[in-house]
Amino acid sequence: MGEAQKLDLEKARQAGGLLSVIEKLKGSTEQEVRIVLLGLDNAGKTTLLKSLASEDVNTITPTQGFNIKSVASHGMKLNVWDIGGQRKIRPFWKKYLENTDLLIYVIDSADKKRFEETGLELSELIDEENLKGVPVLIFANKQDLATASPASEIAEGLNLHTYRDREWQIQACSAVSGEGVQDGMNWICNNIVNKKK
Amino acid sequence: MAEDDSEWIVESIVGYLGSPEWVIPVTDFMENKCTVFDEEDENKLSYTEIHQQYKKLVEKLLENYMQDVGINEQQFLDACTSPFAKSQTLQSVFQPVLATDDFQMFRSLMVQKNMELQLQALRVMKESNGSLPECLTDGVDMMTELQQQEMKILEEVLRKSKMEYDEEMSRRLLFEEEVGSTSSCCSDKPVAESEKAQNTTPAPISTPKVKSSPGRNEDSKAASTGGGKEKSAAKSGDAPTPKPDSGKNSVLPAVRPPARSGEPSSHLREQSGGRAAAQADLEEAHREAGFSEPYTHLSASQQEQLQQRAAYLREQRDKLHALRKEQKSKQTPAPEEVPANPAPAPSTTQEISAEEKKRLEKRKHLADKLKEEVIKK
Repeated sequence: MGEAQKLDLEKARQAGGLLSVIEKLKGSTEQEVRIVLLGLDNAGKTTLLKSLASEDVNTITPTQGFNIKSVASHGMKLNVWDIGGQRKIRPFWKKYLENTDLLIYVIDSADKKRFEETGLELSELIDEENLKGVPVLIFANKQDLATASPASEIAEGLNLHTYRDREWQIQACSAVSGEGVQDGMNWICNNIVNKKK
Repeated sequence: MAEDDSEWIVESIVGYLGSPEWVIPVTDFMENKCTVFDEEDENKLSYTEIHQQYKKLVEKLLENYMQDVGINEQQFLDACTSPFAKSQTLQSVFQPVLATDDFQMFRSLMVQKNMELQLQALRVMKESNGSLPECLTDGVDMMTELQQQEMKILEEVLRKSKMEYDEEMSRRLLFEEEVGSTSSCCSDKPVAESEKAQNTTPAPISTPKVKSSPGRNEDSKAASTGGGKEKSAAKSGDAPTPKPDSGKNSVLPAVRPPARSGEPSSHLREQSGGRAAAQADLEEAHREAGFSEPYTHLSASQQEQLQQRAAYLREQRDKLHALRKEQKSKQTPAPEEVPANPAPAPSTTQEISAEEKKRLEKRKHLADKLKEEVIKK
């Protein structure tokens, strides 16, 4: 192997490797966005995903692996990856963070006992190298339940106001009824457009 | 000039993607790893691991190729994005390369490969056997785990009830010897016992019988308090287990009764076997449901659930009983054989009936259609 070639390969690796070249082969004109959907088990991630894809939300079981849905919105193709939130699966989360354009974090607003746990998981994600500067949308889900805490209270508990290195937004919603979900998606599209342009 | 260059490179790349240096390792990889890829909507975590391995493989292969041909990545990219490479015919050639970056595409390639292998296996099986095992043609293998578990329980229950029946029979045999040998007494006994439970005709013959066995005594008490045979059977979960071979009877070895003598014997068996088996059923159901507490400590709803389960098991067992009886009447008695074994023996006949052929055709058609859909996806 010639020195020049070695250098070329080295450069390519630094720039994301050969696969970043392959990425450009796909001749799609649509802008593709990679979104990762995380949160504790039973937060409502898969329900949210299905609600985004306008699918039935009544037959959802705990996710053991992950689900992917592609949603067209605002002229973009949103590839949403929903990864199971059970404790034993959480160590796998970081394998899905590469090249992520946006993080959606889902919280069960009625599960007060686990606010601390969910806060810890979120702060760990925020510190991940692959999510550096990546905008985060937090869905304060299950607002249809009477015992749900308001989004503002949750934002305070999570110390969201201390986030200075990225865009963030907290959105109250109910994945079951669909309320608030579209507002969150609008924020995502506006933010991605701003960021990518 | 640049156009010519990229055209030459595209042709070279396409040639490479069709050459053994590319096809063999990539096909090997897919065939080795595709078995876990199924049609389920949800993806397994292991898919990601396999996709990563695939990326590494393709990256290595392409790097080697570029070195051999002497082009750099920029040239590779230019060639691949040229109009020539974007033609419809070439897009499919690039699919395995694009799959490195597109998980969904990778997944569908793997699912498709898995299906191809299954079809191949079916074909091979058909060619070597002349026909497919029954379980592959009409879905007999669709028996769920639960059903299999239930079959196991049934077999166990059957075995137990048979054991108890045999013990009971040998005990009765012994009793008959003690009491004397009036033929009427022998055939009346079961009737007398059940009637006594309803407090109608306390046959005099039953008095020595009660004395002869403490287990029997309890039995009749339970029956009389329960008010009827059916109830006592259901309640027997609470009652202490009657030990038929406790006491002096145990001195004698449990002998199998001689040939079953028609009606009275089967009646007898219905009673004793049914009663004891009912308890076994309850216990089985209890254990199977995973309750750690004893039966009597369960809540009413749990008990009810168990009763239902026991009733269901009883029903199934009765069916099997009938089947077994039928079989026995046809041939020499083979008591250890339980006709409940669900394992279908693969058929080795060379002939395929027209019906089977049709079924096979149907299945193949379905698979082809599925395949087509996956490819189109």
